[in-house]
Amino acid sequence: MKISPLELLLLEMASGFYLGAFVLYMSEILLSRPTRVPWAPVTAGIGGVLFQSLAIFIRFGFQGHVALLSLREVLSFFSWTLVLAFLYLEHQRKVRILGLFIFGIASLSTLMVIGISFHSPIFSSRAPIGLLLSLHTILIDLGLASAALAFIVSLLYLILDFFLRNKIFNRFFSRIPSLETLDQLNNNFSGLGFVFLTTGLIFAMIWSWEKFGRTLPHASQGGLAFIGAFLVWVAYAATVLLRWSKRFRGKQAAYLSISGFLIFAATITALALFSKGSHFIL
Amino acid sequence: MIKITLAGVNHKTAPVEIREKIAYPKDTFIPAIDALSKEESVLECVILSTCNRVEILTITSNIYPEPEFFTGFFSRTHPSLASIPIRPHLYYKTDIDAVEHLFNVTSSLDSMIVGEPQITGQVKEAFESCRRENTIGPYLNQIFQRAVSTAKRVRSETAISHLPVSISYAACQLARKIFQNMSNKSVLLLGGGEMAQLTARHMKKMGVHSLTVMTRDPQKGMLLAGEYEAAFAPMERLSDVMAESDMVVCSTGADTYLLTVPIMEKAMEQRGFKPLFLIDIAVPRNIDPEISRLSNTFLYNIDDLKTVVESNQKEREMETFAAREIVQHEIALFQKWRSERSAVPLIQALRRHTEKMYKSELDRFSGTLDGLPEESRKQVKILTQSLINKMLHPTYQTLRNSSNIEEAWEWISRCYGLPPEILSQEALSPSEDSEKKEPADAALDSPHSNFPIPGEQSC
Repeated sequence: MKISPLELLLLEMASGFYLGAFVLYMSEILLSRPTRVPWAPVTAGIGGVLFQSLAIFIRFGFQGHVALLSLREVLSFFSWTLVLAFLYLEHQRKVRILGLFIFGIASLSTLMVIGISFHSPIFSSRAPIGLLLSLHTILIDLGLASAALAFIVSLLYLILDFFLRNKIFNRFFSRIPSLETLDQLNNNFSGLGFVFLTTGLIFAMIWSWEKFGRTLPHASQGGLAFIGAFLVWVAYAATVLLRWSKRFRGKQAAYLSISGFLIFAATITALALFSKGSHFIL
Repeated sequence: MIKITLAGVNHKTAPVEIREKIAYPKDTFIPAIDALSKEESVLECVILSTCNRVEILTITSNIYPEPEFFTGFFSRTHPSLASIPIRPHLYYKTDIDAVEHLFNVTSSLDSMIVGEPQITGQVKEAFESCRRENTIGPYLNQIFQRAVSTAKRVRSETAISHLPVSISYAACQLARKIFQNMSNKSVLLLGGGEMAQLTARHMKKMGVHSLTVMTRDPQKGMLLAGEYEAAFAPMERLSDVMAESDMVVCSTGADTYLLTVPIMEKAMEQRGFKPLFLIDIAVPRNIDPEISRLSNTFLYNIDDLKTVVESNQKEREMETFAAREIVQHEIALFQKWRSERSAVPLIQALRRHTEKMYKSELDRFSGTLDGLPEESRKQVKILTQSLINKMLHPTYQTLRNSSNIEEAWEWISRCYGLPPEILSQEALSPSEDSEKKEPADAALDSPHSNFPIPGEQSC
């Protein structure tokens, strides 16, 4: 199952638009004058997301299911979700600085999607892809996107905290939203990530029960993925619970979110590189 | 020719002792502007009087008023100035320098605190007051419209006014970096120092939810609380109130730390480790600096706030380069408008001259023309008129686009053999009279009013 030339073209267009948006957001920070075209980066982002939506639509139509079974699909869906979430946030909360990070990641991800050679996933040759597996992969990818957003806002929180404590007042400082806003966003994304991850894991366990007769998989059936996912789940559960108990706020919560995303990303990378079992391949 | 002249004193050229004597408060402003407008050769005039400057801008015909004209006017309208020499403090600018100065003043580039917003409002107010007294004509109307629009461009296209440069305002701006919404925040005013009161006033303007005043002297505290519509709390309740406050402004005369690490640790635990912004304006300090090591607490003392202000001032000064570019661009636009307008009486004079020639030539050939049929006579007239218009069109364009209109006019006069009296007072008087009487009823906030140039349609 190869990538169609149209899908490749659409992804290249999306990547170009994302890169353009990234450069425009970067110039907003570097230039002293407020930009005369504040709508330009958002418009570039919308252009990119439209092209990528078409590419994803073609991909799903082409393979006949919505499961994300290769690293290419995971990355493409991940960057698409990130950009959509940012466009919503930009509309609601006006957190422009996030655009710099989001479009940086999105352009890099789509470039990787274009660059990665495509192999058909092992599932396609064995059994039809069911709804449970599709839901599992999509929910885990949505969880990864939420974790990435929590990671970015946490990073911004720590940077602003550092600036405020060390009395550093530069252009970057003036463009970061308030600590309270960042903390609230971290809370929302962590909570959302926790929900996606939990439901994604539940669907995986049900699917595993149906396929292998047990909820916890063997090493060959995705044990590595399970350990990684469990660690991320614990990190996010801790964030949510400690925040509820009013113990963890601001910096501590930011550290937890950062470590949560790093474990998440490491798990996905490890799966992509080393998993020989029932998880996606490069 | 129209001449623009500006003279005045400001915070850079005159000490406050002179400025306060030369200023025109509300009760003397109207008689002063009235007297100035009645001066010989003054067609239009404006007086701008603020705490930092007093400036007079005049439009005159053909001659620039000398600096002595302005010093004399100041002395006549301010008898107390009679014994004080004003000339050493007076700056005097003409034509485009005068316009550039006004643009810089309105854009707050010439202010004591660069980027402060009040000056634009003060310029607008001075203009409106003079407009009501009918001392504004088409030139000053155009200059002030452009000055205000330049100021708007400077404010929106540069960051010159974005950064606070007063200590109390800087503290409030820092609070915005910590808190998203001020309407659900509580502020504790610990002590009643002047700076703390100023900060509290700013906080109140920002719309904080509640303000609590805490002083060692309950009577003074209750008085302050009444002034700021705040609640009063005695010092004994410090730890309880701390737990409920999101910002603490500390400015007492105590020589020890009122807020220590153990007090803060307890308060932070009580408030669920929500961020706390502490401003210590007192000298000696009232808050233990070790507190800044606690998580989610942000402590700023007077020196820190001064650093913020200095850094902002530097940023503002950097922004003035971009702002001056905008001013230069607007000056170029004004010059274009002015040269177009200055060309109008000259074009009218040239047109009158050619009309006269045209009529005399028609009279000379009337015998021949009378022999022609009516239709042919009409055709000849149309042909000659069109020929004249086509030949003169490049000349009109040259006059309109010329940067040195006097030189251009001299050349054109030579080329066409124009008599010098063509620009006599008699020839120009209808145009200038119309300028003087032209209404200037466009308010400064309205879109650019562009008064029609006399004779523009016929050219």
